[in-house]
Amino acid sequence: LKAKKHDISVGELFRQKLEGVEIPPEASVSSKLMRRIAMKEFLNFNPFRLNIYYLGFALLTIITAIILIFGSENSDQLNFLNIPRDLQTDSSVNRVDRTVNQKPETLDSKEFVQEIIRAIDKSPLASPADTLRKLRSAINLGVTNADVNNSFMKDGLFSATSGDRTKLQGGFKSGKTLFESTASEGCTPLKLQFYNKSDSFDSCKWTFGDGGYSDEINPEWIFDVAGEYKVILELFGTEGLNETSSATIIVFPKPLARFEIIPVKAVLPDDEIQYINYSTNAMHYNWDFGDGSTSDLFEPRHKYAKTGNYNVRLIVTSAYGCTDSLFVRNAFSGSEYFINFPNAFIPNSQGPLGGYYSSTSDESAQIFHPAFNGVSVYQLKIFSKQGIQIFESRDLNIGWDGYLNGQLSASGVYIWKVRGNFRNGEPFTRMGDVTLLGNDR
Amino acid sequence: MMSDLQIIKGCARHERKAQQELYEKYSGLLLGICMRYVGDKAEAEDILQESFLKIFFNIREFSGAGSFTGWLRKITVNSAITHYHKNLKYRYHVEVEDFVSVEPGIMSFEDDYFTSDELYKVLNELPAGYRMVFNLYAVEGYKHREIAERLKIDTNTSKSQYSRAKAVIRYKLEKLRKIKGNYSDND
Repeated sequence: LKAKKHDISVGELFRQKLEGVEIPPEASVSSKLMRRIAMKEFLNFNPFRLNIYYLGFALLTIITAIILIFGSENSDQLNFLNIPRDLQTDSSVNRVDRTVNQKPETLDSKEFVQEIIRAIDKSPLASPADTLRKLRSAINLGVTNADVNNSFMKDGLFSATSGDRTKLQGGFKSGKTLFESTASEGCTPLKLQFYNKSDSFDSCKWTFGDGGYSDEINPEWIFDVAGEYKVILELFGTEGLNETSSATIIVFPKPLARFEIIPVKAVLPDDEIQYINYSTNAMHYNWDFGDGSTSDLFEPRHKYAKTGNYNVRLIVTSAYGCTDSLFVRNAFSGSEYFINFPNAFIPNSQGPLGGYYSSTSDESAQIFHPAFNGVSVYQLKIFSKQGIQIFESRDLNIGWDGYLNGQLSASGVYIWKVRGNFRNGEPFTRMGDVTLLGNDR
Repeated sequence: MMSDLQIIKGCARHERKAQQELYEKYSGLLLGICMRYVGDKAEAEDILQESFLKIFFNIREFSGAGSFTGWLRKITVNSAITHYHKNLKYRYHVEVEDFVSVEPGIMSFEDDYFTSDELYKVLNELPAGYRMVFNLYAVEGYKHREIAERLKIDTNTSKSQYSRAKAVIRYKLEKLRKIKGNYSDND
């Protein structure tokens, strides 16, 4: 059967084919949409549903109630929340009295809470300030019922003390120096002694400009960070702030003396020593090489006349004249020629390692090799106890891995013999024994 | 199963069940509309969500006169237009090459020759502006004056974009037909 041919325009084609097409959305869209609806409804005011306005109001009411109840702890008479603590601390005789005495108070407290609830109930949509006022009157009511004075209202949370205000009164009388210090500038850490030069004040306050302050008359202060600090001295009389004086203290940054010696394991006197300078904030350099010679170069080189241990000192000076020094005692310790062998080693039981070792790897202990310095020519031989040579190396970087022809040698004592020359031409010959520790068991 | 009237009344009272019912019933149809305006399904679903938020929170505005489906469609198309405006500045503006080779006159197609998937694909290959005008004029049935107003363009621009969109679509459909024809010849 041939499909019915019906000619239509492009527009019609799309309308007919696509107008009623349904494409099911992903399942997640529905839940996402429901979340957004819930959120939007929550943000919109609706008298019949929990929304942000109701929640905010409820939270505000709860917080206010908490503040009021805990704020009233100052007052003994309203301290019904702390009754157990009081009982614990009192003596047993007192306890009976207290318990008897406490009873009517507890009753009053209940009334007081009910009063709060009543106050809230009366106006559910009242403004926070309104609620606060109602709660306060309720508490006043409760206190009156308990027949006590309402002193806690005076120094409680709601009677903002205006004691601080007096301190802010009185003008600044600057320009006149009321204090002195041991210096007005210096290098970090700058320790200064301040002297209050005035004699007509009741109390004083020093503000050092780095966040610190002091009430002492003649304080001592250390500025440990470079910068400019405004030191302010305020003098208080009976009338409040009387006089103010300030001065600027400049604290210069401290330079840092740092250097490194190359080569790390220098051999004296053969190696020429190069000093690498890592100092910061410095302008002038003063080197003392420890053998009586000095230098003021940035990165000097130095050749020592004979072997020995020298103390090297670098003193750096900044543009402001601040100094720092680095003193390295025995800078060339471990720089003499030597070659030493251990007396035991544990070969790798998994297979031969080939003898290459590095002082940092774990394999180091699995290979028999020397610790050395300044060795130029080297020959190591290992013998069995019967005197049969089983290993030889002419490379300092290759020691014995404990294997012979791919087979792990038996545990026991082996003899080593080493020949060679140090870098100064001095020959050496050493012999000793080493115990090969197996993990046979 | 609730009737449309029950659903509308329930939604007006913000009843979850009614909202879910409305979503189940119409989300497929409305996503079908969204997919004509943006090619990406996730993007289309974003428009769908916006539409449903508008529908749920403005359902009291549905007067009851006219078809409910029509009202839903209108809101969805409006969301698509809003989305188009919002994303206009981020989109890379594509100028379509001139199709000189398109023959004049009415070109016609058999109505069952192309699947809806293929037509969606052709639509989504159009530049966004062409797609908007073509959808609004050919499928939604808006007047060029309305389109110009909604898209903040000139009426003549709407007209010329529509005819160019049609030309591009014809060209693409012709190509598609050739490919499909080759397939059926080989069978």
